[in-house]
Amino acid sequence: MKNIKWKHYINYILVGIVTLIFTILAFCGALERSLQVNLEQIAIAMMLAVSLSLVVGFLGELSIGHAGFMCVGAYLGGKISSILVPILGNGLLALAASLLVGGLCAGICGFIIGLPALRLKGDYLAITTLAFGEIVRVLFLNSSSESFGGALGLPTPRFDRKYLFIICFLMVLLTLFVVQNLIRSKHGRAITAIRDNEIAARATGINVTKYKLVGFIVAAIFAGFAGVLFSYTQPNVSSITFNYNYSIEMLVIVVLGGMGNLTGSLIAAAAVTLINSFLQAKLPGDLAVLKDLLYALILIVVVVYSNSPALKNFRDKYNLRNLFAKFSKNKHDSDDSTRWDVVPTKIKMDAILSTDIVVNDPQADKADKPKGDK
Amino acid sequence: MELLITFVNGLSLGGIYAMIALGYTMVYGIAKMLNFAHGDVIMVGGYMILLFLPINPIVAIIAAIIFCTVVGIVIEKVAYKPLRGASPLAVLITAIGVSYLLQSVAQIAFGSASRFVVIANLGTLKIGSLAIGYSTIITLICSMIVMIGLNLFVKFSKTGRAMIAVSEDKGAAQLMGINVNNIIMITFAIGSALAALASLFFLLKAPSITPTFGALPGIKAFTAAVIGGIGSIPGAMVGGLLLGVIECFAQSVPAIAPYTDAIEFSILIIILLVKPTGLLGKKRREKV
Amino acid sequence: MKLSTKLFALVLSIVMILGVFSLTSCNADNPAKDNEKIKIGLTGPLTGGASIYGIAVKNAAKLAVDEINKAGGLDGILFELEMLDDKHDATTVENLYAELYEGGMQVSLGTVTTAPGLNYKSFANEDNVFFITPSATGDAIPEFANGYQMCFADSNQGTAAAKFFNENYQGKKIGVFYKTDDEYSVGIYNNFKKTLDASFGDISATTASFNGDASTFDSQIQILKDCDVVFMPIYYTPASQFMTQANGVENSIKVYYGCDGFDGIDAIEGFDIATVPQEVSYLSHFNSTATEGPAADFIAKYNDAYDEEKEPLNQFGAAAYDCVYAIFEALKVAKANGKDVAANTSASDLCEILKEVFNSDSFEFRGITGKTEGNEKSHITWSADGTVQKEAIKYIVKEANS
Repeated sequence: MKNIKWKHYINYILVGIVTLIFTILAFCGALERSLQVNLEQIAIAMMLAVSLSLVVGFLGELSIGHAGFMCVGAYLGGKISSILVPILGNGLLALAASLLVGGLCAGICGFIIGLPALRLKGDYLAITTLAFGEIVRVLFLNSSSESFGGALGLPTPRFDRKYLFIICFLMVLLTLFVVQNLIRSKHGRAITAIRDNEIAARATGINVTKYKLVGFIVAAIFAGFAGVLFSYTQPNVSSITFNYNYSIEMLVIVVLGGMGNLTGSLIAAAAVTLINSFLQAKLPGDLAVLKDLLYALILIVVVVYSNSPALKNFRDKYNLRNLFAKFSKNKHDSDDSTRWDVVPTKIKMDAILSTDIVVNDPQADKADKPKGDK
Repeated sequence: MELLITFVNGLSLGGIYAMIALGYTMVYGIAKMLNFAHGDVIMVGGYMILLFLPINPIVAIIAAIIFCTVVGIVIEKVAYKPLRGASPLAVLITAIGVSYLLQSVAQIAFGSASRFVVIANLGTLKIGSLAIGYSTIITLICSMIVMIGLNLFVKFSKTGRAMIAVSEDKGAAQLMGINVNNIIMITFAIGSALAALASLFFLLKAPSITPTFGALPGIKAFTAAVIGGIGSIPGAMVGGLLLGVIECFAQSVPAIAPYTDAIEFSILIIILLVKPTGLLGKKRREKV
Repeated sequence: MKLSTKLFALVLSIVMILGVFSLTSCNADNPAKDNEKIKIGLTGPLTGGASIYGIAVKNAAKLAVDEINKAGGLDGILFELEMLDDKHDATTVENLYAELYEGGMQVSLGTVTTAPGLNYKSFANEDNVFFITPSATGDAIPEFANGYQMCFADSNQGTAAAKFFNENYQGKKIGVFYKTDDEYSVGIYNNFKKTLDASFGDISATTASFNGDASTFDSQIQILKDCDVVFMPIYYTPASQFMTQANGVENSIKVYYGCDGFDGIDAIEGFDIATVPQEVSYLSHFNSTATEGPAADFIAKYNDAYDEEKEPLNQFGAAAYDCVYAIFEALKVAKANGKDVAANTSASDLCEILKEVFNSDSFEFRGITGKTEGNEKSHITWSADGTVQKEAIKYIVKEANS
């Protein structure tokens, strides 16, 4: 038993348990509608966050066009399902077919957007992904009413509401399975190597082109899946939904969860979705204005608190991990080597080989180090 | 003839974009961050003009510039400074948070209805069959003056050269006795003042304002800054003017007008594929 | 114990608590069974760009509910209103609808705008909840038997406008200015194009458009400046912008013709419609600057109760006021017919009762929207497909300068 590394499986267990409990509740007919709706949204947000995390956290490329892939999935998957449902009935077969088509088309888009990623870096790539997302949105917005409904949106069939969230969570498990296995394989190590130093990675014989494309394609496919599921939750898919604000919301989740930390992404996806829907539903009437204010304040405070180099000592003193450690006998948590999700490859090549003088903020360097280096 | 009018309109719209893009590009060059809240500073400037307009248009403009400068500095001190040295993504997310914050505060203070802000009615210039609004011409001239002035300021003044030094290498600049924090603050102040000016010219062109008024010019100006090469001041000007002209021409053809945004972004992607750091951006050398 | 195990245990217990919580608060059949007042629910934009419409609806509906309650309600049964903020974003509706339904909503005003409404109608249909929307004009909104409109549907507005053009503007050069990412605008524009006579020729060369929050219209003015009549199926804010900016440019436009989105164009603070040299007119069901008749009474009441500068009234609000009263009158008729209406009747039962009343030939609602004569209220009925039947009025906001 000792050899089983809990940490490798914690994500599956987390999601699995949640799915199981709510499935049982749903079959007893004891699940509230609003909770069910939230669960669907959480599952979709989780899929988006995990797939975006692959690009942003592990491949190290800033993408603010993730909603574009989702848009492709939602429209094409929704179109296929609206064609198939009258023929095959509103069952798993139609769902599987639309997932396949939606994911495939999104994957092709991922390939297309991956191509400029070979040439562009950093913020230039970020705006390219944003541009891609907006182009996709505008094209669907101006499509003819026979093809994709144009500005009026595409009416899509809805799956049996009672069981849709179970399918959504099963898809989260699939996403986790693929992304985690990719990251833990030699391919994953190649991907993180590219993130840490592209030139060094190239020098060691890693095929940078291939791995960048793989990263983008896999992320796009799962965003496409999320889009298809989204089209199943909505009676009407409208391209206005997938604007850059939506992409940014996904990015917020990934950053709040901790870059390259999938468990964090999952938890942040659930938390942000719940906070949003709570503020939306519980602040009616005149209080509605306060909702955006609260969301903005929460966002600023959380990010400043958890990232500020000046607050690092304070954080270390009062963080969750240390609080747990205080209560347990085994204070020395030396198991970091098995933490696959924080890949300890961040070697500061620049710092070793160049002569940058960092005098401005001595703590900056420490803050940048991933936890695995401790 | 109509093409000429469209071209001039495009240049004037581009001038506004360029002014906003300058704010983006200067902050990026020096603080290495994408200030997503920059568009909302324009909105703040617009509401200040609205607030002080009953007194006197000149007072309103000055008040807007001062207030925006203060807002820019406060944002920098409260939201961005604590994160100096943290990951650029964290700063990006905070900027988004600040953007939401400014919008919701504006909505609470002024309501979400669109408000008309007529600063002045300037009339039209007529040369033969050509008719161009004076506001267009003034915008064009003023934006040129501002851009050239800013370029000279950065190239020749002591503060400007300190800005270049900081953007090149913070550590070395500090060693040379430059107060890096002050320079960053000044950069934010200049960027915000330019945003206030941009809001003035925007309102001369289209006299109405809402709490989300800054989002669209913000994202357009960001695009312009990247087309020109983010971090480069002449680049922001070129990018802004180019984007304005493209936008006006695309919108003047009914068949492709609905695709204007897609066309702009496609051109952005094409330019970046040919020149990966924008038209006038510096080539970055990779250190190994 | 390792950290991960503990974290895992923590999450597990939270989930279990949540599960138990949802078990105890379960009530399957009729979420309204504990209601003490009849609950009217709706969603609309209270924040964001479209919030001016949502806020007017909220205020006017609340005004109506307060009036009804003050007058004793429906034989002692009082009403209450709950409105949630959908930001004019269709994806929020699923969540908000569930919240409203579980909170005991029995009848609904649907949504304020069309985009969220296209989702709302399906959810409401699944639970058989009656709704009558004040202002979601989409053709597909009353698709199901439980959905009704107080406003004119897009197809009606587009067709009516095109018919008006066919009769009155033959031989004139026609231009269109519409918003490409707005269901309302595109819906009306498509129907307008369909019904317009072939004698006008191809109007696509004089069709200008914009999207999003765009407010500079130089290029669009260049396209339209040689037209005689410009049809604008858009809301008044961009329309007033267009008029102001076109004012400085040499143009031959004589008439700006709009739809119900134009309502309120003469009341924008800072925009003096007298400075526009063209005729500005629109076809609508309400004139929010009316000075006489039942509409004027309502406007006075609204402006007494709310800050007209920050939360101005528009036709959305007037329609919401009528919606609440229409539901009230219909319930009164049902009660007189011996139907069982109580504060805790389930939404589905109320829906059947209301559908029967609304579909009966004898039910006619007298409201403030539609054509009113003198102090007489307007005559409003509904056809079986849920669209409203009332007389539209062409308002000439401003005559052309001669």
